[in-house]
Amino acid sequence: MFIENLVIDFYNVIAKQKVLILVNYDIDAICAARILQTILKYDAISYTLIPVSKISDLISSYKEHINNFKYVILINCGGTIDIVENLEPEENVVFFIADSHRPTDVCNIYSLNDQINEDTLDNEENINNESRVAKRRRLDEQSINKRLWEKNRRRILFEYSQFSYYGRSTSILMFELSWQLRRDNFDLLWWGIIGVVEQFILNKIEILQYLNEVEKISTHIGRLCANNDQVIDNSSQNSVTSSQQSSVSNLKINCEKDLQLALYRHWTVENSLRYTMFTAVGLKLWAIKGEKRLHQLLVEMGLPLAESRQQYYSMDLSLRNEFHNMIEKMSDTRNLTHITYPSFTLLQGFRTKYQAADYVYSLLALLSNNTRSKNLRDCFYEAMDALLRVRKDLLDDGIEKSKKLLMVMFKHVQSALDMKQIMTAGPFYYMVIQEGTINAKYCSNPDCLWLLATFALKAYVTTSRKSKAARLPLIASAPLEDGYCIMLGVPPVTETTPRSFFGKAFEQVAEKTGSVIQADYFDSTAVKLQVADRAKIFDALVVLLS
Amino acid sequence: MLCSNAVGLIKQLERTSDDTVPPYDTDNIRIVLQEMKSLYDENVEIVNSTRDHMEDAMFALKIRHRALKRNKRCLLAYLWNRLERIKEMRWQIGSILPAEMKCNFSPSEEQWLSNYNKSLASYMRTIGPNGGLNLLQNLKPPKSLYVVVRSLVDIGRIELDDGEMIVLKKDAQYMMLRSHCETLIHQGILEHVL
Repeated sequence: MFIENLVIDFYNVIAKQKVLILVNYDIDAICAARILQTILKYDAISYTLIPVSKISDLISSYKEHINNFKYVILINCGGTIDIVENLEPEENVVFFIADSHRPTDVCNIYSLNDQINEDTLDNEENINNESRVAKRRRLDEQSINKRLWEKNRRRILFEYSQFSYYGRSTSILMFELSWQLRRDNFDLLWWGIIGVVEQFILNKIEILQYLNEVEKISTHIGRLCANNDQVIDNSSQNSVTSSQQSSVSNLKINCEKDLQLALYRHWTVENSLRYTMFTAVGLKLWAIKGEKRLHQLLVEMGLPLAESRQQYYSMDLSLRNEFHNMIEKMSDTRNLTHITYPSFTLLQGFRTKYQAADYVYSLLALLSNNTRSKNLRDCFYEAMDALLRVRKDLLDDGIEKSKKLLMVMFKHVQSALDMKQIMTAGPFYYMVIQEGTINAKYCSNPDCLWLLATFALKAYVTTSRKSKAARLPLIASAPLEDGYCIMLGVPPVTETTPRSFFGKAFEQVAEKTGSVIQADYFDSTAVKLQVADRAKIFDALVVLLS
Repeated sequence: MLCSNAVGLIKQLERTSDDTVPPYDTDNIRIVLQEMKSLYDENVEIVNSTRDHMEDAMFALKIRHRALKRNKRCLLAYLWNRLERIKEMRWQIGSILPAEMKCNFSPSEEQWLSNYNKSLASYMRTIGPNGGLNLLQNLKPPKSLYVVVRSLVDIGRIELDDGEMIVLKKDAQYMMLRSHCETLIHQGILEHVL
């Protein structure tokens, strides 16, 4: 069942209980978990928090820890699978699922004993669709024409589960819970914002959805920052306490238009322009003429080359103040429309501003940074700690790493285009990242692979002369360890809603070919399979989709 | 010199640091007591024998009496301060003191400690509605009762003080009562995080 009122149906139930929290490895989930942790801390609710990366991981962690718990909260995981069937829980265990993955598994919503509570105020369409299924299910007892009904049911279910996409960010949902409990504060809001911006940056939600969220958030900012202004008023009257309170008022979140340039505040303008997906695609920077085009843009903007190669914060002040206007003026003529988007910046004291997107890139780099010395869970906690204001060193470290990540991605796309590694297979494109490539280790993270694949597809479409190109999706595949590889489908460029049908397609292909595809990721568009089976799967996909 | 042993006892106590109890100095105490006895005897003898020449004996009497009083004061101070230290240790270390500390106690001090423990326990049982309150926990008010900890090693299932079972797996994060996890943090099993 869906939860209507977060406080009554969710929070009051878990209050004074022990809860088990399972968190997925993604930025939205980490932010949501942080917010939830803060809320639970106020009420001294003891919990155990475990990061889980895959469905198998979820099942094993659940079985290890469940003995002591009656209440389980799943953050950004488990919504798309049938919980009762997979976890085989005891009768008295209650699940709360806060998952932005869609579609939500039907069995979770209409579980017989209401054991599972969907922690989402979901969009209408979704619920209506569901209730139709349920109604039909109820009617069937009297109905004679059972076969017709079943066919219909299967069709509706198929339509419902055909596309996998993302719903509302979980972290903003958690922030709203904190708001309803009157526990919201500055940090919680910022973490909520990061969750929303992550969905936008990684192209998980539509722009309209994003703008909607931005509007809602800006009212929260108004409320929370208004309190800050009051503090300043008080302190001016009461000069004794002013020194203490001024530290509070130095924190500020601004909602403003910002550039879609990755990390430009912490990088040089030239590099940022070069390695951001948006500008790289717009200016076709991977081509030989790309560099010239970049320089030409800088010239027309009136930004000296020497300045553009400096760190942004040490650029000339007048240039820095003019930078936004200059680039916005150029954007229309340069195939870079919509270079600005409404975003948020965090200002702490007199240091450099952080854009919400900077946090996202930094966390992404920290999360995908698993090397031999660091396992996945270390990365998870590093990313979690980087959210704290006192651990800025981790955040800055992440920013450095994400610069490297963006550079690697750009170079990979460049070489993939040069070497013609993106190939057509009739109804879709595919790109295989070979094992042994230096960059392969970055790509084992689904989020990074998703970003890379989107980048590659966009780049390919702009270079391709065929008009059909824009309508085709791309399948990317990257090696994992032990002879396995990850495969992931990206929707075509023309698709306005970022939803992908590959989850279902992979499933059907697996049925037909009899090869083992492990849908082990919470995002159903990504699957894990044996490298040996890859070619077979591609062939079967061609047959299925054409 | 009169009273030198008694002052010596005090000095001996003063020389040791505040959180230890030096060995109970039976010899010195016996010497002081003997001195007091002899002083008293001499006084009694003078008072009994020389009833007429009271004036002359008065000074000697007064000096001896002062010395007696001083010895008494020093002895009491010695014993009192030792008890204070033992009490302090009881609150800091717990009801069962290590044997190497206990061997410095006199038998009566040990007796006192066990009595003290008994009355403290029975007092703590009477506070609050259910089963009393452990006054020894949180001598200073803690910032929060619960802390967030991360497990550093795989321990598996363990039982906490209050009988609850918990599974400690590497890289899981827990919010636990501070009192439960303090020892585990000392042992390096858990790590406190912000």
